[in-house]
Amino acid sequence: MKALRWTLVALAVFGVLGLAQAKLKVGFIYVGPIGDYGWTHAHNEGRLIAEKTLGIETVYVESVPEGEVETYIDLLVRQGCRVIFTTSFGFMDGTLAAAKRYPNVIFAHCSGFKRAPNMMSYMADFYQVYYLNGLMAGALTKTGKIGYVGAFPIPEVKRHINAFTLGVRAVNPRATVHVRWIYEWYSPPAAKEATEALIAEGCDVFAFTEDSPTVITVAAAKGLLSFGHYSPMYDFAPDYVVSGQLVHWDKIYVEFLKGVLEGKYTTKNLAHIDYWWLLSQEAVELGAKPGMVINPKHEAALKAVKVKTPDLGEISVYDLVYARLAQMGAPGVSFDPFQGPVKDRKGLLRVPEGFWLSYDALITMEWAVEGVVGPWPGEP
Amino acid sequence: MSWRLRLERSVTPSRTTVLLVSLLGVVAALVFAVPVFWAYKVSPWTAYTTIAQRSLGSWAGFMEVLRRAIPLMLCGVGLTLAFRARFWNIGAEGQLLAGAVAATGVALFTKIPAPWLLPAMFGAGFLAGALWGAVPAVLRLKLRVNEVISTLMLNYVMIYIVEWLVHGPWKGKTMRGFAYTDFFPAAAQLPLIPGSRVHWPTLVIAVGAALVVALVLSRTRLGYEIRVVGQSTDAARYAGIDFLKVMVAVMVLSGGLAGLAGVGEMAGVHYRLRSPTHISMGYGYTAIIVAWLARGSPLAALFTALLFGLIFAAGDIMKASLQLPAQIVGVFNGLILFFIIGSELLLYWRIKWERGWTGKPGSSGS
Repeated sequence: MKALRWTLVALAVFGVLGLAQAKLKVGFIYVGPIGDYGWTHAHNEGRLIAEKTLGIETVYVESVPEGEVETYIDLLVRQGCRVIFTTSFGFMDGTLAAAKRYPNVIFAHCSGFKRAPNMMSYMADFYQVYYLNGLMAGALTKTGKIGYVGAFPIPEVKRHINAFTLGVRAVNPRATVHVRWIYEWYSPPAAKEATEALIAEGCDVFAFTEDSPTVITVAAAKGLLSFGHYSPMYDFAPDYVVSGQLVHWDKIYVEFLKGVLEGKYTTKNLAHIDYWWLLSQEAVELGAKPGMVINPKHEAALKAVKVKTPDLGEISVYDLVYARLAQMGAPGVSFDPFQGPVKDRKGLLRVPEGFWLSYDALITMEWAVEGVVGPWPGEP
Repeated sequence: MSWRLRLERSVTPSRTTVLLVSLLGVVAALVFAVPVFWAYKVSPWTAYTTIAQRSLGSWAGFMEVLRRAIPLMLCGVGLTLAFRARFWNIGAEGQLLAGAVAATGVALFTKIPAPWLLPAMFGAGFLAGALWGAVPAVLRLKLRVNEVISTLMLNYVMIYIVEWLVHGPWKGKTMRGFAYTDFFPAAAQLPLIPGSRVHWPTLVIAVGAALVVALVLSRTRLGYEIRVVGQSTDAARYAGIDFLKVMVAVMVLSGGLAGLAGVGEMAGVHYRLRSPTHISMGYGYTAIIVAWLARGSPLAALFTALLFGLIFAAGDIMKASLQLPAQIVGVFNGLILFFIIGSELLLYWRIKWERGWTGKPGSSGS
């Protein structure tokens, strides 16, 4: 019955558009290769689920240089794509130009901020999950030094390191997070180098933003703990991966494309549609792999560490992680990593007591919180 | 008695032979690419017809071929000049990026009035590319540093300079912390052929550059000296040619033209400096094949650049329309280069079958 309804809706939509196609054709433009085990791989998984769930036709193009996005959009439109997703910040202006050129095609751009009547924006963000990982990292470090291998010093990565550090300091106020930048999204050699340097500095727990499991394997070889990033990385070191960040782009793709099929989203009404999806929309997940929030091997250690919190009293870190997860995962979100008071590492009060950061402040964050150690290009 | 294969050095091949053998190489590459299509369950016939229809068979497609060919023309013409002087410039990529950096500097940080801004950008881009190209020439003649190594290494130096600029001092205030410079003002953007992304002024410059370089080579004293240096260093020394002057002149032109390509990409395609791997799709390296295939003729380089523009555009079509993986363009470039270099054998050597004795035991012949 449901299938029949979708078909009827789709037919109605196409009837209005005057198209003879049976299926909605959707194009995806990726910045990296689908086999990168990170960003593009995750988007492609989302595409496959959306295709299966909605019975639509999809095509994709991988490894598209940022300046070439318009060329690829032209090719996809000529092939009959009616919806096109572009999944890199650097595609934003090219997508906007194409949206003006093709007013009858729906565009969706990931991780940017520009929109048009036929172009929406979307992002699944990890900062809450990084905070939860930080809570665990703070409880598990013995040296009080936690290593972080960062890809590029851009607001997104800075926001994640800050949230992670706030988590660390919530359970271990004297611990520090040591940052190394590698200036690559995917570079196992650079990640290895950075991890080894951080180990030499005395770091004993690791988190990172890079699209390979290198940090995990290098740390595990020395018997050190780490948190997975982007894809399920538990299997690369089952004894040493404590938890991590997982993404579900399919939640956004299915929801948005459903809206397109139903006629809720058209080429006229997207100028204010921005999906900024977090834990409560289930676009991101806390875990070493799907379904495993905390590696059972490390549960006892997390239960043994007790902290005092202003709202929950004395509580074990294990329970604290689940409590905060519940607060941020439920629809009426009642906790945020950046709730005031938050000071930057130069001592300036960035979020006063009783306030949360606005979306704009989150996505343009350049400052570093107290506890971050190391270079911070563009620090205000 | 048996038949034996012998290779014999042939005299200079005629122009028609060069053209035919080169075409044969390209066709052979296309034939050998057939199994690649089969491996991805795409019919080669469908593949080549789709590519033909969407590239040369449509106005928009042809314009894309042209756009991709522009930087290849400029870099390729410059490289034919360097190769004629037997200076193995592998550094067009870095020289292109040097031009892009200079263009960005002029566009964003000077107050040159509108009508003079673009010419100033081209001038600065030429100078920056020329400087980046002249360094290896001086290094080779003063310190005997192999230019293959120095030009190649300077590419990486320039790549890191660009990365440093976009992450550091030139990071744009309007880019929300991402690694781009701000957009160029409108006066620093090149006009496009309507309905396409072809920045035609750069195309005009490229064709003009090919003509100028062809004239320099055939009609000037410098051209004569370049040809002599390229053919025999001994003869050049005997004729009293100043090697340093010739090499620096060659690399100023070669690097300068690559620099102009960088200006074109900035002012015609990107309008801002960004990560170097997204500025040049390896145009500086592909231009080596362009110049090689043109056999040192700057005018021929215009056409071989179009061929590789077509291969780039075909790669886009193969990725988007045939759902082939991104590495396909590299496979095609590799195959064509392989067969072109392989065809050298046919050009300069003649295969001869001869009847003769093979060294059988007891036989006196050897």
